[in-house]
Order: sequence, then C-alpha cells, then structure tokens
Amino acid sequence: MTWQLFVMALLAGAANWAFRALPILLRRERTATPGWVERSLAAIGPAAIATLCVASLLPMLSSDLLALAPVIGGTLAVVGTYLARPSVVLATLAGAVVHGGMVWLLG
Amino acid sequence: MNTEARFRDGLFASLPIVMGYLPIAFSFGVAAARAGLAPGEAFALSLIIYAGASQFLALALFTSGAPVLVAAFTLIAMNLRHVLYGPTLMRAAGPKATTRRAWAWAFGLTDEVFGQALGTLTRGGTFSEAYMFGLGLAAYSAWLTGTLLGAIAGGGALEGWPSLSAGLGFMLPALFLALLLSLLSRRQVPVIVVAGVVTVLATLAISPTSGILLGMLAGAGAGLVRK
Repeated sequence: MTWQLFVMALLAGAANWAFRALPILLRRERTATPGWVERSLAAIGPAAIATLCVASLLPMLSSDLLALAPVIGGTLAVVGTYLARPSVVLATLAGAVVHGGMVWLLG
Repeated sequence: MNTEARFRDGLFASLPIVMGYLPIAFSFGVAAARAGLAPGEAFALSLIIYAGASQFLALALFTSGAPVLVAAFTLIAMNLRHVLYGPTLMRAAGPKATTRRAWAWAFGLTDEVFGQALGTLTRGGTFSEAYMFGLGLAAYSAWLTGTLLGAIAGGGALEGWPSLSAGLGFMLPALFLALLLSLLSRRQVPVIVVAGVVTVLATLAISPTSGILLGMLAGAGAGLVRK
C-alpha cells in the first residue's frame, strides 16, 4: 500500500470512528446546539447521498435505449421494492438483480 | 422484545445486512483489484475505513491522483452524516441505556446498522450493547469477507459473466438510491434537488470529483438557508 493511500485510509477511518463513537461517548444532558449547526449537519447526510446517487448513475446514462433499459429497469426495481417493503438491503439487491437480468436478456 | 436484546439477537437481525454487504464488498474487492491493489491492501481499506461509498470513492480518488489531503477531506465530508446517528439512536434507546463499550461497537454504526438498530427500537425492542456488538460484528465480518473474496478473485474475475458484472456494477447506485428513499421527506427535498442539480452541472462543467464535492456543499448550504 502506498503511503498516500494508507494516510488517506487512516484519516478517513479515524474520522469515521470519531463521527460514529464520539457523539455517543460525549453525550451529556441535552445541550443547546446552534440552529445553523444543526440545520447544516442535518442537511449533509441527504446531500451526500443525493450527490453520490447522481454521481454513480451519471456514467451509466446513454442515448442508446438498449444500454439505458437496464438502468431504468434497475432504478424502477429499487423504487418499487422500497415502496413495497422499506428495506435498503432488499431494494438494493432487487435493483442489482433486475439490472443484471436485463443485461442478460438484452444480450 | 421485552427482555434485554442479546448478542445473538443482534447476529440474527444482521442477516439482511450480511446478504447485502457480501456482494457489495465483493464488487469493491474486484474494483480494488482492477485499480491495481493487492488483496491485503483492499482488505486493509475495508478494515480501516469501513464505509462502502467512501471506499469506492477512495479508489477513484487514488487512481485519479488526487492530493492526499483533498481526498481525505472528501471522504471525511462524505461521512459527516454519521455524527447524527449516535445521538438519534441513544435518544431512541432511552435514558437507561449504557454506553460503556460504545468506543468499540460504535465504529460499526454504518447506515444500514443504524437503520436496523433504530428500526428494532422503533418496533418496541430494547437496547443493549451486546445486541449492538452482534449486529455490528456480523455486518463488519461480511464486509471484510466480501472484500477479500472479491480482491482474490481479481479484476478479471467477472469477464466471463457480463450480466453478473453488470448487476454488481449497479449495486452501488442502487444502494445510494435506496438510502436516498429511506431518508426522503418533504423537508429534505430542496437539499436533495440542489445537491443533485449542482452535481450534474459541476460534473459536466469541471470533473466528477468536483461534482461530488460541490454537490454536497451546495446541498448542505441549501439546508442552512431553509427555515
């Protein structure tokens, strides 16, 4: 592992531990958090997920309908499965199965 | 669940997460091998970072030659949302919940583990650190196992299986979409729309890496200005 990759992993891993554990370990009686901090913290999660969702779908978009069909099918499978049963894992697997299945069917 | 949740209850509750993590981690292992990492290096990334999307992005940033601090900041910004998970979970667990060993089990508080634990509490379950260890350890083990298998299988492992490769390749967008649906609310719509639009524009105008960073910042900014 190059030192750059190792340093990047260590910094990200340490931050992950801090983000996940410190708010629990440092928990005290409710202290007032400034409103703007709470609002921006609350928005970062959805913003990050939305950004990653768009960024991961963008390279898959194509003007070729045959290439686009599995992406549309997989996306609809995720949404449909989640609406039927709100489970992130099930919806993810359904999307992947439908996408892979359509690639197989369409050759 | 009226009695205190046990370690094995956590293991059982983790089964859907394990089923989801194994193929996603496998595809990370394959992607790491394609990026030129040895199996041990891919395993180390999963062991140290343990955050799916961040790890895929780490590979992209690493292979694109992004500066270490810029890459680390991007990965850190991506997981800032986890700050909210612990307080939310402990609020649901109640004032009697103990957190003596949270320094260990809280590292496993991923999106899915948090969602499962919160769901259990919402459905009337009780909180225990043993349950959190069971839930978290099984998920972590699945993540590490999947990574190692994928990395050993190597970048060319799926060349003869295009539909399987396509399905695994869609796992990540599917995961993000499902996560997005899980936190979708009327209140979050402006944040999501702004983040999405800025990501598209910045990706087209500058680069995919800039698109991700600017999209997140713009979304957080939209959250800041809302009432």
